[in-house]
Amino acid sequence: MDLTVGRFLRFLIVSIILVVVGWLLYELSTIITILLLSALIAYILDPIASYLEAKGITRTYATFIIFFMFFFIIAVASWIFLPGLIRELHTLQQNLMSEDPSTLTRRIEAFITTNLKYFDVKTLAIEEKVQNGISLLTDELLAILAGFISTISIVFIVPFVVFFLLKDGRKMKKTFIHLIPNRYFEMTLTVLHKIDQQLGWYLRGQFTEAFVVGFLSVLALWLLDVQYFIIIGVFAGLANMIPYVGPVAGAVPAIVVTLINGNEPFKLLYIIIAFAVVQLIDNILLQPMVLSKSVHLHPLIIVFAVLIGGQFFGILGMLLAVPAAGIIKVTSSELYNGIRKFHFL
Amino acid sequence: MAEKSLPDDTLWGNVFRKDSTVENNIYKVLAGIPIFQDLNRKELRLIERILHKRSYKENEVIFHEGDPGVGMYIIESGRVNITLGKDKKLLAVLTDTEFFGEIALLSEIPRTATATCVTDCSILGFFQPDLVDLMETKPRMGNKVVLRLAQMIADRLRFSNLENQELKMKLSQFEEKSTRKRMS
Repeated sequence: MDLTVGRFLRFLIVSIILVVVGWLLYELSTIITILLLSALIAYILDPIASYLEAKGITRTYATFIIFFMFFFIIAVASWIFLPGLIRELHTLQQNLMSEDPSTLTRRIEAFITTNLKYFDVKTLAIEEKVQNGISLLTDELLAILAGFISTISIVFIVPFVVFFLLKDGRKMKKTFIHLIPNRYFEMTLTVLHKIDQQLGWYLRGQFTEAFVVGFLSVLALWLLDVQYFIIIGVFAGLANMIPYVGPVAGAVPAIVVTLINGNEPFKLLYIIIAFAVVQLIDNILLQPMVLSKSVHLHPLIIVFAVLIGGQFFGILGMLLAVPAAGIIKVTSSELYNGIRKFHFL
Repeated sequence: MAEKSLPDDTLWGNVFRKDSTVENNIYKVLAGIPIFQDLNRKELRLIERILHKRSYKENEVIFHEGDPGVGMYIIESGRVNITLGKDKKLLAVLTDTEFFGEIALLSEIPRTATATCVTDCSILGFFQPDLVDLMETKPRMGNKVVLRLAQMIADRLRFSNLENQELKMKLSQFEEKSTRKRMS
């Protein structure tokens, strides 16, 4: 009898704790996002700080140098790309607002009837799909606008947090390890080191790959004189993080924009060739160099991770779903291995 | 007899001043460890920052035989028993400034014995991830430590070889003797 009551009480306490933790996580989600984003950036920049330290510079100065370089690059990139990007966003917004969706669909339908005769235009129901798509996009834009204040706070707070995580990260890790009881401390140290070894390469690889693919895509689309080349190129770089679907998803917006803007079948062919070349460079040169495939994720896990990411955090969630799945996979498997090796199970 | 000086006033004393007695004690301990032998005072200060200081109670186990080992332990104060097997055969009793488990700094191998604190102990841990980090951020210092570690292991290997040769010689002498006995 006592045993049952005791069990019930334990179950009740655990349930209450879980609910409270869940509620806190939900309420503090913005702060947690800021912290996670900052930790991710600091983690990616850490080898640069270590490299500068190896050259005889103190950690604090190394952090200052990285920040100076980072802001310098952002300033130069903004000076070069920002006017174009604003112009692109402005035109995109104007086109979405002013142009009747049916005009767009009529253009696409005309292209299909002249070039791809074996398709029945009516069965494709393009107009309905385009309208749905535009309303979804408008919703997303509105959501972004609604989160503008939090975006501003992120822009100012994240660099601040990144600075201190980069400068004092090692001390913080040591303090955290100091809190672990003696029995588990060697295991925690080992597990953290192994996670760091595997994830370090994986995450840095993913972001390097995304950066290079994005840069090459912007360059290719600019050379081919595609409208919104910066937005589409950046999207292609980010989408590249999603295996299998990503490379295709990156090319689709460029093809759609060209289709909408006029009847240029050769330009379409050039765009497809350009994206194929970018993928070839990525597969042959980049991937072996950055070792980003060191964390093997099953395609099914990737598909579900992307869907879950999209469900909770929209487009950003879809893009960050693959690295997040990688982090969860490595952490859980290393934790399990550590617990088993140290005979805690 | 000079009166023992009183500690700083807790309200007005300089709370930021480091406890030099504790610091000196750690330096004394570290300077006596062969792998840190080539490091100067400034470098030892950096090592002190890397080390994990842990406190163990009497009879508390530091590690069990068979656990994966990832680093070495240095005894700052206290006494540690090194035992083997379930019957706890005593291999060694280690005390202040002595160290154990240094091979695990180079390779993650299972611990070959169990280390248990006989008294309350203050132990400093230096682990493989810390060594890797040191080699990445302070390569010159990391090299000094690794070179000393390699020398220490080479010495042990030489000693083991000599012991092995001696045992082989004894075995062949024993075999010779037993053959002669059988012949006669």
